[in-house]
Amino acid sequence: MHQELILMLLADARLPVAGHTQSAGLEPALRAGLTDVPRYISTRLKTVTRVEAATAVVALHSFRQGLPLAAVEAAWAARTPSPAMRATSRQLARGLLRLGGRLWPLPDLHDPSRGVALGALAFAAGLSPASLARLIGYDDAQTVAAAALKLVPLDPADATLWVVGAMPLIQSLADDVAGLTEPHEIPASGAPQIEVWAEAHAIASRRLFSA
Amino acid sequence: MPERALRLGVCGPVGTGKSSLIALLCRELSTELEMAVVTNDIYTDEDARFLRSAGVLDPDRISAVETGACPHTAIRDDITANLMAVEALEERFAPLDVVLVESGGDNLTATFSPALVDVQIFVLDVAGGGDVARKGGPGIERADLLVVNKTDLAPYVGVDAAQMKADGQAARGGRPVVALSRIDAESVSELTAWVLGCVASHRAGELRPQDPGPMAPHSHAHGDHDHDHTHR
Repeated sequence: MHQELILMLLADARLPVAGHTQSAGLEPALRAGLTDVPRYISTRLKTVTRVEAATAVVALHSFRQGLPLAAVEAAWAARTPSPAMRATSRQLARGLLRLGGRLWPLPDLHDPSRGVALGALAFAAGLSPASLARLIGYDDAQTVAAAALKLVPLDPADATLWVVGAMPLIQSLADDVAGLTEPHEIPASGAPQIEVWAEAHAIASRRLFSA
Repeated sequence: MPERALRLGVCGPVGTGKSSLIALLCRELSTELEMAVVTNDIYTDEDARFLRSAGVLDPDRISAVETGACPHTAIRDDITANLMAVEALEERFAPLDVVLVESGGDNLTATFSPALVDVQIFVLDVAGGGDVARKGGPGIERADLLVVNKTDLAPYVGVDAAQMKADGQAARGGRPVVALSRIDAESVSELTAWVLGCVASHRAGELRPQDPGPMAPHSHAHGDHDHDHTHR
């Protein structure tokens, strides 16, 4: 199938994979006093989202080569120290695999991370590593922007401008990670503050978004 | 016999008593049925906490789904988060007889996807106004059961509960309506008998989920003209 159409399908907010339950950590960040949302988007693209995109690309390579995924999962987990973020990632992966399994034959996976699940979908749908990395960067920026519309008073056009503004960074993220093949090459670019916020959110009692 | 539990949805506007109805069902039925609950709060896990504190069910059997301010999406267009919550409970507490799914209080147009629940109850209450049942909508007209709740409050809010039930029956073309008050044992038995009937037909493999259908077209005044359209 045409790569561009597959990419559109997977990047579409209407894809039923529980995307509407997510704020990409924006809700606890705002609660903690964050005000500069565009900078939050770029910080994620340079840190946690980079880890996820690299994980997905390396997973895609492993699927293509028939290599075991355990080392990829372990590398991702080691670079994602927040248990709350790992749990969210696995939860979103379950949703992706639930849908993906209806669309394409998928490799057998046991409770993978979102990056590995997206790698599996990309493998099954014939998506390139660069497209997969762009998908993850774009989806992350859109998740933050869409959640901001629910959380702070804002003109939706401004939120869309943030996403457009993040595009050069999304592209350079894709350029940087698209060629990775080995688990040890996944960058250890965590963001301790985002991880702390994720932990706080997981036990918060008043929240609009799951994470 | 189906492997999984009966999935029973409870929807209806905010404040009509969905959580109380679920607490009531747990209180009445949890000795004879293995039950679990998924709540869809719009903001906070208030409903899940209410149910846990009601002490009618093991708190671990109550899961909350956060909908990101999309309570309607979560039960209709993208049911993923709810399905995963239901399946997690079914797996952890197998074998369950019933999983109750409470929608986030929405408006008159929100109903469950038949891919999420096997059967659904739409809840109205007398305090929301005596004319609501007459207004209709997919839930009022075609949910498997319409509950007109809090009938004990009717004298205090100037509503004729019997008339409201009759309006509901007229809108539903013979589908069942229960006029419920938790302090009226007879109405409670009517409700639990209906639920037990659904469990029995689910076990017998005879239950086919019925979609209450799309939202009815409605009209907005736009200055010099009216037009009908359907919301997605």
